[in-house]
Amino acid sequence: MTAATTTTSTQGTPGGAHIEIRDLTKSFGSFTAVDNLSFEVQPGRITGFLGPNGAGKTTTLRMLLGLVHPTSGTARIDGRDYRDLDRPLSVVGSALEATNFHPGRSGRDHLRVIAAAGGLPDSRVDELLELTGIPAAARKRAGEYSMGMRQRLGLAAALLGDPRVLILDEPANGLDPEGIRWLRGFLRHLAGEGKTILVSSHLLQEVEQTVDDVVIIANGRLVRSGTMAELHGAPTTIVRTSDNDRLVGALRVADVMAAPGADGELVVETGDKRLVGDVALQAGVPVWELRDRRTDLEALFFQLTEGTNRNLGDGATSLPGATQPGATQPGATADAPTETDAISGREGANE
Amino acid sequence: MGAAIKSEFRKFFTTRLWWGMAIGIFLAAALFSAFFAYFTTSATATEEGAPTGDPVQIVNSVYTAGLGVGYLLMLTVGILQIGSEYRHKTITSTLLSTPNRVRAMLAKIVALLGIGALYGLVSLLGSVTVGAITLMVRDVDPFPSIEVLRTLALSLLALGLWSLIGLGLGILIPNMVAAILVGVGVAWIVEPLLSFGLSNLDWGAKIVPYFPSNATNAMVNGVTAQGTDVTFLSWWAGALVLAAYAAALSAFGTWRTVRQDVS
Repeated sequence: MTAATTTTSTQGTPGGAHIEIRDLTKSFGSFTAVDNLSFEVQPGRITGFLGPNGAGKTTTLRMLLGLVHPTSGTARIDGRDYRDLDRPLSVVGSALEATNFHPGRSGRDHLRVIAAAGGLPDSRVDELLELTGIPAAARKRAGEYSMGMRQRLGLAAALLGDPRVLILDEPANGLDPEGIRWLRGFLRHLAGEGKTILVSSHLLQEVEQTVDDVVIIANGRLVRSGTMAELHGAPTTIVRTSDNDRLVGALRVADVMAAPGADGELVVETGDKRLVGDVALQAGVPVWELRDRRTDLEALFFQLTEGTNRNLGDGATSLPGATQPGATQPGATADAPTETDAISGREGANE
Repeated sequence: MGAAIKSEFRKFFTTRLWWGMAIGIFLAAALFSAFFAYFTTSATATEEGAPTGDPVQIVNSVYTAGLGVGYLLMLTVGILQIGSEYRHKTITSTLLSTPNRVRAMLAKIVALLGIGALYGLVSLLGSVTVGAITLMVRDVDPFPSIEVLRTLALSLLALGLWSLIGLGLGILIPNMVAAILVGVGVAWIVEPLLSFGLSNLDWGAKIVPYFPSNATNAMVNGVTAQGTDVTFLSWWAGALVLAAYAAALSAFGTWRTVRQDVS
């Protein structure tokens, strides 16, 4: 219910802002942490910023936030550098690391320090503590906090100014499954308000159910960007039958392409299982398995990010949103939970 | 700017450090002034090798006897105001809420001058009450001249300026603990030894008055040790010299902060 109350109080705020990273490069001596990186982040969507550890995610975010000086290129929010924003906390909220607290200062006072700098009232601090579910615990000194508490406090700090853009660096780190579920719902709720949300992670699966768009980098270079659906590729169906040839022929008549896959299965290029079943019945072939083929995102992610390690230079030239044919791995059956995010978000916020 | 300054004050007063420091400064001021008042006004003070001066200088010294400890503590406060930000990485959230780094550093400078003045008042509360009572017990006029007021006011400024020296030092030496050790070590041990050694040399005696501790002492116009050839600065020159140290170090700190990457 807390989340619902806040919706009303934050209504009327302008929508999200557009983030544009253009030819961004950062070198530390001879080491290039971020290499000519360009991508965009759209309002009202959750964008996952992915890459293995050391890929340059945090450096990129720090450049976007004016903490690290780019060697070249720009990182702008609605066309402006972070440092030129008049009221930065009301435009961009960010949580970079869950350890950025003075251990001797209470979480509430930590927020009050930030609120003062942003010209925000203290009442906003208590509102956010309520929203992130830590009003009582935040009166203890931050040195005693668990990782989950720190993440929630960091999130509260990021949201203090009711920003249009939210930038979170590895927000799920250290959260228990319940916390991750809560976070997912919370972010979905904020994106629904039209905010721009950029979430970094080194695990694609961690954010798979959360994000709408992905930006994948490796070795400081872009390897892929686009929507989650594009990453998954066109939907395909796995079917097992006693007579593959006959079914392929029947499907071709129905204008659906199919080809034998691994282990005697048939891969049909449609997501419409009912159609496949109907065709099989008319063709008179028995079917003993009919299911969606899921993209093995872990394998895909590994392939994308490892690939550039072996072959520097390929990654940066791959077209954003382009689907690589070999990217999908047949036979993966990782089932995703299908609970609705908004509901789990309310549960979490209620605690 | 006002918002950033308010934030710096909150930073300082939301950890336990501030009242520990307040107690330390109060006790140092009270104890040193009682001791100094007793010692310099004893009948045989000159024979015992006590520092000498006119009655005003003696009273000045009594009220600022704890300043030596006070400014070391303020040096530490200055180091901590930036050092703990590096140590606990809160510098990130400071610069996120005040992305203009010159403004962020100016806020620290203004806040530290204010904190220095506040601690100066705490210090005076201890030294003037205890010192004046001790002087009266000794039958010495606790308020011989209006000049004493100037000294009291300048002691507030001195504490603020020392905290700015700490701020610069805290940026020069990013390791907070090392910065405190170096800062206190230099101000407390190296500088007195150096000024003792150099004061016997012709050219040395000329630069000794410009050392920060000696400038501070000149500022509050206290008594001076017997048998030295060194001519100390006048109060206003002392104030200018110490202000120059503070300005140079905090300007250096601001410059470094503007340039560096925060990661």
